[in-house]
Amino acid sequence: MTDLLTPKRLTMRIILSLAVLAAVMLVCSLVGTQKVSLKAVFAGPGDEPGQNTDYEILVRVRLPRVILAALVGAALASCGVVLQAILRNPLADPYILGVSSGAGLGATIALLSGITWSFWGGSPIAFFAFAGAIATVWLVWCIGYFTGKLQVTNLLLAGVVVNAFFTAVIMFLMSIAKSEELRSTVLWLMGNIAEKETNVLMASAICILTGIVLLFSICYRLNILTLGEEEAKALGVDTTKTRVVAFGFAAFVTAIAVSLSGLIGFVGLIIPHGVRLVSGPDHRQLMPLSAVIGATFLVIADTIARIIIAPAQLPVGVITAMVGGPFFLILLAKHTRKVGWLK
Amino acid sequence: MKKSLATLVVVFVFVVTLVFLMWHGLPARENTAKMAVPPSRIQRIVSLSPNLTEILFALGLGDRVAAVSSNCDWPAEAKTKPKVGTFWQPNTETIIAAKPDLVVCESFDQQRMVARTLRRTGLNTLTLRVESIGELFSAITEIGQATGCSPAAERLAANIKSQLDRIRTTTSLSRKVKVLWVMQPEPLRVAGVNTFVNEIIELAGGQNAIAPTINQYPSVGTEEIISCGAEVVIQSAMGTENIHKQQIAAEQFWSRFANLPAVKNKRIYVIDADTVLRLGPRLPQGLQTTAQCLHPELFTQPKPRQGTEQTDD
Amino acid sequence: MNAVIEVENLSFGYTPQRTILRDLSFRIPRGGFLAVAGPNGAGKTTLLNLLCGLLRPKSGSIKIDAAPVESYSSRKLAQKVAVVRQEFVPVFGFTVAEIVSMARMPYLGLFGFESETDKEFVNEALEETDTAQFASRPLYQLSGGERQRVFIARALAQNTAILLLDEPTSLLDLKYQVGIYDLLKTAQLKKGKTILAVTHDINLAAQYCNEILLLDTDGSYHIGKTKDVLSPEQIEKVFSVRVFAGSLGQEKFFIPLGKFAKDSYLTANEPDSSEQKKS
Repeated sequence: MTDLLTPKRLTMRIILSLAVLAAVMLVCSLVGTQKVSLKAVFAGPGDEPGQNTDYEILVRVRLPRVILAALVGAALASCGVVLQAILRNPLADPYILGVSSGAGLGATIALLSGITWSFWGGSPIAFFAFAGAIATVWLVWCIGYFTGKLQVTNLLLAGVVVNAFFTAVIMFLMSIAKSEELRSTVLWLMGNIAEKETNVLMASAICILTGIVLLFSICYRLNILTLGEEEAKALGVDTTKTRVVAFGFAAFVTAIAVSLSGLIGFVGLIIPHGVRLVSGPDHRQLMPLSAVIGATFLVIADTIARIIIAPAQLPVGVITAMVGGPFFLILLAKHTRKVGWLK
Repeated sequence: MKKSLATLVVVFVFVVTLVFLMWHGLPARENTAKMAVPPSRIQRIVSLSPNLTEILFALGLGDRVAAVSSNCDWPAEAKTKPKVGTFWQPNTETIIAAKPDLVVCESFDQQRMVARTLRRTGLNTLTLRVESIGELFSAITEIGQATGCSPAAERLAANIKSQLDRIRTTTSLSRKVKVLWVMQPEPLRVAGVNTFVNEIIELAGGQNAIAPTINQYPSVGTEEIISCGAEVVIQSAMGTENIHKQQIAAEQFWSRFANLPAVKNKRIYVIDADTVLRLGPRLPQGLQTTAQCLHPELFTQPKPRQGTEQTDD
Repeated sequence: MNAVIEVENLSFGYTPQRTILRDLSFRIPRGGFLAVAGPNGAGKTTLLNLLCGLLRPKSGSIKIDAAPVESYSSRKLAQKVAVVRQEFVPVFGFTVAEIVSMARMPYLGLFGFESETDKEFVNEALEETDTAQFASRPLYQLSGGERQRVFIARALAQNTAILLLDEPTSLLDLKYQVGIYDLLKTAQLKKGKTILAVTHDINLAAQYCNEILLLDTDGSYHIGKTKDVLSPEQIEKVFSVRVFAGSLGQEKFFIPLGKFAKDSYLTANEPDSSEQKKS
C-alpha cells in the first residue's frame, strides 16, 4: 500500500497554501498605522495625483511592501530547503557559503563610497550587494573545488572562512565610516523591507519565481541526494552536478532577495524545519510549500514590524528571530519523535 | 546540442525581458517632483526634520505647517502639531494621510528614500542637504522659493548672517583657543574637522584640538586626548534636562585627564545641544553660547551653566 | 557463454604501494549467482565499488553487457545495476514507501513524479520482501533487520538485470537470512537476474550460490563452483582459521573452530577433521 506524492495531490496542497498566502497578503495590506478603507481604495487614484490617500497608501506604500516581503520570504525559505538538502545539514541557511558576507560587503562598499549612480532604476546598493553575493559564492566554490573537489565538508569550511574574513572587512570599513553612512549600513545589514518601484518588483519577481521553479525541477534529485554520495550515484544521480546546479540557482535567488532587503535572518533556517515537521521530507513537496509558507511568514512578520512600535518601525529581522525562535522550539518539542534527522 | 541551444535561447529571452523591465522604470527616477505645486497654493507643509521646522516657523509659515516629525520641539507650537514618525523613520503612511502640499526633508538616506516613495504617490517634496552653515543659507533660500516667501527668506538669512558675522568679528582678534568638542562621553566621540561643529568652533574664535581624521565624528583614544592640549572642553548635553547634573558628571569624568589645560583651568562646559547642533535659525544663539565658553572675557554675560539663552534674533 | 559481467586482469589499490586486487579475471553469466567471500581487507567491498563504477581500476577492464563500465552514463548504469550496501547513511524521516520508490529514479522524467508502472514495481518489491506492512512508517523507526529488507526491496524495485549486494544478511535473524537468500534465488530463477553477493556466511553461499569467488588478502583468488572451491584446506588457508567440515546429503557445511571448540563437533560423522581438541 503505497501513499506516494502525486502531482495532483501536490498541486492541491500548493493551491491551498497559495490561497492562504493571498488572504494573508490582503489582510496585511489593510493593516497599518493609518486606517485605510477598502471602499475608498476602489474609488481609484482620483484626478489629481495624491488625491485619494487611501488608494495611495494601499497601492503605493503597503502593497509593494507586502509583495516584496512575500517574494523575499519565498526566496529565502525555498533556498533554505535546498541548502539543507545538499549540505545534509539541518543548520544550513541560504546565507551559508558566502551569500551574506558577500552581499554585506558589496552593500557596505556601495554605501560608504557614496555611489549615487543608479543602476537602471534600482538602487546602487542593491546592485553591489547582488554582485558581492555572487562573487563571494563563486570564490567559496573555487576554494571548495581546489581543496577537495566540492565535497560537502570542504564547501562548508570554505564558506565559514570566507564569511569570517569578509565580515572582518565589513567591520573595518564600518569603523572608518562617516556616521550617517554607518547608520545606513547597520540598518541594511539588519534587514529591511521597504517600498520599491514597480519595475524593480516585477523584475525581482520574475527572477525569484523562475529560480524557484528551476529548483523545483531538481527536487526529486535532492531526495536521492539525502541517501548519501554512494547511494545517490548508484541510483544514477550525478551528485556533483546536482549540487552545483542546485547551489547555483539557490545562490542566485538568495542574492536577489538579499540585494532587495538586506540580511533577514531565520526565515531560511526555520521555515524548512517547520514545514518538514508537517509535510515530511520529500523535497518535491517541501520546497514549494516552504516557499509559500515562507512568504506568508515574512508578510506577517513585516506587518508586525510595521505596527508594533508605531510610528517607528522595527527591522523585520527582529520579528523573525523573536517569533520564529520560540515557535520552532515548541514545534520541535512536540513532534521530535515524528521526524528524525539522524537515525 | 539541441538542449544547450534551447537553454541559450531561454536565457537570452530572460535577460532581454529583465533589461526591458528595468529600463522601463527609468522615467520614474526623477529628482524633482512630478507635479510642482505653485508656491501660492501651498497650504499644508510637512517637515521631517527639526531644523527645517524651525526654519519654517521663522519664516512665518507656522500655521501652514500641517505635521512634523516627533523630535521637532521648537518653537513650542511645533510640539502641538500632529506627528508623522521619527527623524530616522518617517512614517510614509501618516505623511500621505496628512495630505501635504509640500514635504520638506533632509538628504540623508532614510529620508531621501521616503521622499522618493512620496513622489511616486504624487506628492511634492523638497530634499535639502543641511550639513554646513553655507548649506543652511541655501536651504533657507530654497524653502523661501518653494513657499513663495523669498523676501522673508532673504531677511532671515541676512539676519542670521549678520549675527554670525558680529560674533566672528568679536572673536577674530583674540587668540584661537584649542577646543575639544565632545559629542558623546562614553564611548568617547568628538567632532572632527570636517563638520559644521568645527565651523562653529572657528567662528567662535577657537580651533579644534583634534587633527583631521577620516571620520567626521571619530572615536578618539585616551592617548590622543592626553596629548591634544585642549584648553576648553565643550560637551553637548544629551537632552535638555538635568544639564546641571550632566555638568557635574562631565567635570568628574574629565578630572582624570588632569594634565589638560581645560581640566586644570576648570573650563569644561556642558551646553544645550539644540541651539548649537541644530543648523537652523537659532544658530546665532548657539554660536554665542560657544563663543562665551571660549572667550568669556569678550562677552559681558557670565559663563553659561544651564541651557537655553533668551536672546532673540 | 553469455557473460553479463566480465572482469579481465583487474588490478586496483587505493595507494600505489598497496595493491588489493591483483590481475583478477572472472565472468558471471546471465542469470548467475556469484558469492564473493574472503577475509576482511581482501577487497570484497572494493570489488563491488569497482563493478558499479564508483572506483576506476588501475589496470584491466570491467565490462557490463559487453560494454565497459565507464562508457555508461550513470543513469543508464543505474538501470542495469542495483546495489545494496551494508552501511547506510541515516536518511531524513522518509517513509519506507518513499525510500523504495527512490529506486525508480533512473526512469523518472522531468519533475520526478512516479507513473503507474513505477508504483507497480514498488508495490511488488514491498510485497516480495514482506515490508509492505511498514510502507507508511519512517525508516528510522524500523529495526536493523527490517531496514535491510527495505533496502533490498529498493534494489528489486529498481528492476535491474544485475544485483550487487554487500553482506545483505549481516543484520538479519536466521529466518530472514534464509528468507533473503530465498528471495534472491527466486529473483535469479524466475526473473533471470544476475546476482553478486559479498558475504561472510560461506554456508549460505554454499547453499544458494552457483559459484563462489574466494579472495585472499595477498591478492590471490579462487573462483569456481562452490563445491569445488570450498574445501576445508582452502578455507583454512584463506581465512586462517580451522574449520570442521560436515555434510548433509549433498550439502557441505563448515564450522569454524576456535580455542574452545568442543569435542562434540568432532564426534560427528566426518573422517578427516578429527583433530584432538585442546583443553
